[in-house]
Amino acid sequence: MNPYLPIEAKIEKVVAETPNIKTFVLKPKEEIAFTTGQFVELTVPGVGEAPFTPSSSPYQKEKIEVTIMDVGRVTNKLHQMKEGEIVGIRGPYGKGYPLDKMYGKEVLILGGGVGMAPLRSFLLTLLGKTDKFSRIVLCYGAKTPQDIVYKDQFVEWMKNKNLEVYRSVDKADNKWKETEGVVTVLLDKFKMNLENSVAVVCGPPIMMKFGTKRLLELGHRPENIYLSMEKNMSCGLGKCGHCALGRFYVCKDGPVFSYDLIKEIPEIWD
Amino acid sequence: MKDFLLKKDKIKNLLISASEEWDTFVPWKDLGEDLQFVKLPGAGKEDFLNKLSLEYGSPLIPPKTIAFPQLELLFEFEEGKIKEKVPPPTKKLLFGLRACDVKAILFVDDFFRRNFEDIYYLNRTMDKLLVLVGCKTPPRDCFCTSTKTGPFLPVPRSLGEVRKEGFDLQLVDIGDSYLVEIGSEKGKEFIESYKSFFEVASKKEVELSKDAKKRAEEAITLKVDFEKAVKNFCEDKVSRKVYEKIAERCIYCGGCLYVCPTCTCFNVFDGKKGKRGERSRNWDACVFEGYTREASGHNPRPEKWQRTSRRYEHKLKYDYLTTGMSGCVGCGRCLATCPVNIGISQVIEEVAKNEKRISSLSGKD
Repeated sequence: MNPYLPIEAKIEKVVAETPNIKTFVLKPKEEIAFTTGQFVELTVPGVGEAPFTPSSSPYQKEKIEVTIMDVGRVTNKLHQMKEGEIVGIRGPYGKGYPLDKMYGKEVLILGGGVGMAPLRSFLLTLLGKTDKFSRIVLCYGAKTPQDIVYKDQFVEWMKNKNLEVYRSVDKADNKWKETEGVVTVLLDKFKMNLENSVAVVCGPPIMMKFGTKRLLELGHRPENIYLSMEKNMSCGLGKCGHCALGRFYVCKDGPVFSYDLIKEIPEIWD
Repeated sequence: MKDFLLKKDKIKNLLISASEEWDTFVPWKDLGEDLQFVKLPGAGKEDFLNKLSLEYGSPLIPPKTIAFPQLELLFEFEEGKIKEKVPPPTKKLLFGLRACDVKAILFVDDFFRRNFEDIYYLNRTMDKLLVLVGCKTPPRDCFCTSTKTGPFLPVPRSLGEVRKEGFDLQLVDIGDSYLVEIGSEKGKEFIESYKSFFEVASKKEVELSKDAKKRAEEAITLKVDFEKAVKNFCEDKVSRKVYEKIAERCIYCGGCLYVCPTCTCFNVFDGKKGKRGERSRNWDACVFEGYTREASGHNPRPEKWQRTSRRYEHKLKYDYLTTGMSGCVGCGRCLATCPVNIGISQVIEEVAKNEKRISSLSGKD
C-alpha cells in the first residue's frame, strides 16, 4: 500500500462561516473512517497538500466536513473552489481524542477561532452519546461576533439541555449580548468537579498557552487536559520531520496529546 | 567460522558477474576527487570499473542517495487522475561501504519501516547485500571509534537470516587481497554462489587482518566523549548558551544535514504544467527557517538557536531515546563540509563538559 496516494473527493457543498473561514462538505470515493481528533491531508492538485482535522462527526460515514481558514497557498486555492470540483484526500492520521478515558466524566471544551473545527467533531461525538458523560461544557471565543464559526449550530447547541455553552468575543459590537474578553474569562463562570473531569483545548497557539495555564491554575490536572497540537504536518506519516515536537511527531503521536505527556518539552507553545 | 580471501585482482570480475543478478553499486570516482556510490551500467562495465575506488577517504555524498534520492517523484496526475510512480523492488549489492555507512543504512532502514512503511524507500532497498570494506587510512574528520561504529564492525559468533552487526560481508585490506568475514547467511550464500572468486583464508592471513584492523583503529585520532554527551543531552543538561554559541557562527546552509547519512527530512511539493502535474519530495533540513513555518506565517522555531537545538537534539537525544541508537555514526561528513568550521564533534565535546541543567519549561538558563 502506498500511503502517499490521495483518493478523489468531490466537493458537495461549501458553507461560508466567516469572512475567511469556509466549511467544505466532501464526499470521498471510498469511506475515510476516522476517530474524532484524527486528521486528513487534503490535496489541491498542482498546488499542494495540507493537514486538516475533520469538523464533522465520525458517525457521519459517507461525507467528511472540513472547516478551513484562508491563510496560505493551499487554503487560498481551496477557498476559490466550488461545489462539484475534485480535491484529493488521504488519511486519517494520528491519534484522536481518547473517548474511553472520558466516559462518566465532566467534559470541558475550550476553543478559539477556527480551532473550533476539531472540537465540533468532538462535540458532535459526545452529543451522539450524552448518557456516557456526566456533563458537557463548551467555551468558545472568537475575535468579533462575525468571526464566530458554526453560527446556526450554536443556536441549536445553546438550546440543547445536555450542553452548557459560554461564548466570548475579544471585541464586541452593539448587538453582542454575551461576554466580551479573551476566552479564558469564561472559565470563571462555572465550576467543574475537578476530581472527575477532563478539558479539551484547541485554538491558536497563544490561546492554547493561556487557556492551559488558566486551567492549571483552576486546578485541572495535567493528565486530564487534552491539547490538539497543530504543526506543519506535511507527510502525515512520521517521516518528513516538519511536525517534530521533542521526541514526538505531532502527526503520528498526536495531534491530540495530554498536557502531562508534553509539558516538559520547551517548545510546545511556540 | 571460516574466513575467506578475495584477491584484489579478482574484484572487477566478481562485480561484473554479480551485476548480472544484482543492481551493483560501488564507490566510483569520475572527475576530480569527489566520489559517490554509482550503479554499474548495463554496458561498458570493464571501463566503468577502472574508476572503482575502494581506497577512498570518505565519500562526501552518503550512500543514502541510493534509496533516498535528493529529488524523487511520488506520483503524476492529469485531470484529477493519479498515476503512481513507485520504483519497482530490485536486488541491490552495495559493495565497498564503510562501517559508519553500514550502521547509518540500518538506522535509516529502521526509520522508513517504522509506523507507516515508506514504499518508495523500501522498494529501493529492502533486498540488499551490504559488503563493508573497512577503512585502511581513515580521514582526519572521522571519530567512529568514539561512536563505536567503526572502522570495522564485530563479527557475529553465529549467523542468522538477518545481519546481526550490520554487514553481510566485511572486507579487511591485507595487501594484495582482502580477508572476507561473514556477517549473515545471506553473505555466506553470496560466497557460495560466486565461489570461484574466493579462497579459504589461512591463519597467517587472519593474523594480518587483525593487525590491519588495529592499525586502522589507531589511525583515528579524533576522539570525543560521545557517551557522556548523549547522556547530558538525554538528561537535559545542555544549556541554551551552547546553542546560542553555535548560532553565532552557523550560516544555516544545511550542508551538514544533506551530507549526513542518517538525515531523512524531506519536503513535499507539487508542480504543474497545464492539466498535468506531479508531486515530488526533496531533501529538507531542520536548520532552515521555513522548515517549521506554518501556512499562517506562524513559525514555532523562529530563532536560530532553536533550530540548532533541534538539529543536535534530534540526533543525539531523541533518536537515542526512541531507538536506543544515536543518529550520529561518527562519519565526519558534517565536519568536512561545514563552511564555517562547526563540526558535530566540537558540539559533542562542548556538551560532554556541560553539566548545568536547564529549566525545562522556559528553555532558558
